[in-house]
Amino acid sequence: MMYVIVAILGVILFWLISTYNFFVSSKARIKASIQEIGNQLKRQFDLIPNLEESAKGYLKHEKGIFEALTDARKAISGAIKSGDVQKMSDAGSKLSQVLPQIQVVVESNPELKASEVIGKLMDELRDTADKVMYARRLVIDLTADFNVKRVEFPTSLVAGMFKYDELPGLITSEKGEYKVKL
Amino acid sequence: MTMVNIYEAQRANKIKSTIIVAGFFVFVTAAVYILVQATSVYLGYEFGGLGFMGIALIISGISSYVGYYYSDRIVLSISKAREADRKKDFNFYTVSENLAIASGIAKPKLYVIEDSAPNAFATGRDPEHAVVCATIGLLNKLNRTELEGVIAHELCHIKNYDTRLMSVVSVLVGIVALLGDWFLRISFHGRRSDNDKGQLGAILLILGLVFAILSPIIAQLIQFAVSRRREFVADAGSVSITKQPQGLIAALEKISSDTEALEVANKATAHLFIVSPFKGKIKGAVGRFAGLFNTHPPVNERIRTLRSML
Repeated sequence: MMYVIVAILGVILFWLISTYNFFVSSKARIKASIQEIGNQLKRQFDLIPNLEESAKGYLKHEKGIFEALTDARKAISGAIKSGDVQKMSDAGSKLSQVLPQIQVVVESNPELKASEVIGKLMDELRDTADKVMYARRLVIDLTADFNVKRVEFPTSLVAGMFKYDELPGLITSEKGEYKVKL
Repeated sequence: MTMVNIYEAQRANKIKSTIIVAGFFVFVTAAVYILVQATSVYLGYEFGGLGFMGIALIISGISSYVGYYYSDRIVLSISKAREADRKKDFNFYTVSENLAIASGIAKPKLYVIEDSAPNAFATGRDPEHAVVCATIGLLNKLNRTELEGVIAHELCHIKNYDTRLMSVVSVLVGIVALLGDWFLRISFHGRRSDNDKGQLGAILLILGLVFAILSPIIAQLIQFAVSRRREFVADAGSVSITKQPQGLIAALEKISSDTEALEVANKATAHLFIVSPFKGKIKGAVGRFAGLFNTHPPVNERIRTLRSML
């Protein structure tokens, strides 16, 4: 009889610990992902002027793209300053929408296409956009998981014990995401 | 073909995989038990002599443990790989970085094999010691989206501890093979015990003989089945990370349509690759039989499964 009780208590304790760990590690991972988004936005903020500078000569009659780039950069710097997750995520997708347009121009212009500097900058920017996308997706998935477990029985007991608040999710339109062209 | 939601596909895959692995353990336990008992009867010991089992476990365990613990270094040295460079292998490097973020594991060490046959594999005993290796052919032939599919597949192997699973499985296959081999040797050359063990003893001897001949093959067949199942699991996992089945589909098509054979691959490392490095197809009944010995499911079948997730 003793053993049965001890075994049951052991199982409960194990479950409590693993549930607690789930909540704690989710929070930590969400925080890390948000930081990652911030880091990538800073990278974009630094990379955009370089791209503008090196492509200036070729993009003279592509005013729209320039404006969009400057716009994206403004949004990025504003988002970084505000530190707001939603704003950061939106700013990240702004650049994702401009990049394919630039890619089209680059592809159509042999001189631009041959330029190693611009190719490199485009690669780097595309990479930052991808990283923002994946980090953002992770934030969305993890928050959803966290919030479901927070209210679902029996994990809600643990959430109640430690008074976890519902985490604010991200609103995002997947269609705005940047896809690499085949 | 009905539409399958990724999560359902993943769950079904995991259940099937668990059943195969569980079946494997049951089979190995039965085979080892019968071989040990039959050997004991032959040598005139009482039932339950576990000495042989112990010796087999030690021998098979050591060889596999070394393989498991140093799998990354061994495979890399066999494959003549060099470490990936962010500048030189920009897509490979950054795609792995991104997908590591997405799947929540640390970025594995990245290596490149200078071979023009497109292929990739993952190894390492746990996510902290994981290695993803791609051939230069793969990196040159795939675009970024396709590469994402392949790398995500490899990261799933890492995240699912497939290297560990396959190591455990190969220890057990080794035990069965050793015990079977010993039993056959003993029964042909060994001395027969004088005292009669009765009917049970006779049954055990016959069973032992059957198991000694068949079980190493059966164990290996199940090992291959486990390996194939893990490929499906990793394919579904890849899609759930990238959300783009078409990337992996296009990659598999490109890799499988390439006729070049990978020079650095051998039978021991074959199960690691994303697509079996051995090419050449046999059709019909012979092909189906040969299929039992494959480490990978047919590419068509994998593509069909992926298409159903589109």
